[in-house]
Amino acid sequence: MTPSHREPTHEELLAMAYADGELAPAERREFERLLESRADLRQEVVRLQRLALLARQAAGPEPIDLEWRRLALDPVQRAGLGLGWSLLLCGALAGLGSAGYVLWTSDAPLLLKLSASSVVGGFALLLALALRARARTRTFDPYTEIQR
Amino acid sequence: MIVVTTDAVPGKQTLQTIGIVRGNTVRAAHAGHDMAAWFKNVVGGEIEEYTKLLAESREQALDRMIAEAAARGANAVVGVRFVTSEIASGCAELLAYGTAVRVG
Repeated sequence: MTPSHREPTHEELLAMAYADGELAPAERREFERLLESRADLRQEVVRLQRLALLARQAAGPEPIDLEWRRLALDPVQRAGLGLGWSLLLCGALAGLGSAGYVLWTSDAPLLLKLSASSVVGGFALLLALALRARARTRTFDPYTEIQR
Repeated sequence: MIVVTTDAVPGKQTLQTIGIVRGNTVRAAHAGHDMAAWFKNVVGGEIEEYTKLLAESREQALDRMIAEAAARGANAVVGVRFVTSEIASGCAELLAYGTAVRVG
């Protein structure tokens, strides 16, 4: 974040011009090389892109938006949503655990037990990796704050 | 960068036509949003999760098109159009395209 009481640095000015698409092709390529080694500048560019996107979404709220905001703060709605998602998640995990327990304590062939466990384990691993990738890239995604 | 849907920028003279530029993206809502959207689909009304998803895709596609135009030395894109299609269930694909030009 650039504090308002100081002049922006040369690199911050370049980041602004880059985010606004105002750099000449050669300047742009040079700045992109600089971005590769500077995580702080990458974050600055994303912050500036978010600001530009917010400016583009300049339309005021519609009456229904105000009701959605009130609803989001409503205790019954909040508690209901929290309880609903918790029940759903706990139920799914408990069901999956029970199914695994039943399978492994049954007389099913070992190959079936191993293959079923392998499918579940592979799915869980791939899901975890997708979550990890999303967590790493989300901070560089300026589009997540767009509402409509 | 001037971005317009008309064939020329009113009040400006087209000095050079650079060529077609485009930007596209495919974005998805996470599973929680998909489930919330499913419940809203049951009762009707606006599904904000998908409104937001399409808006995110539209802006990202537009930004990519503008970035390509800037990289090719344009200062305007005329005749801009959006095209959408469904590549997978729950995903929003948006393609923005137009003609990059230099105006003065």
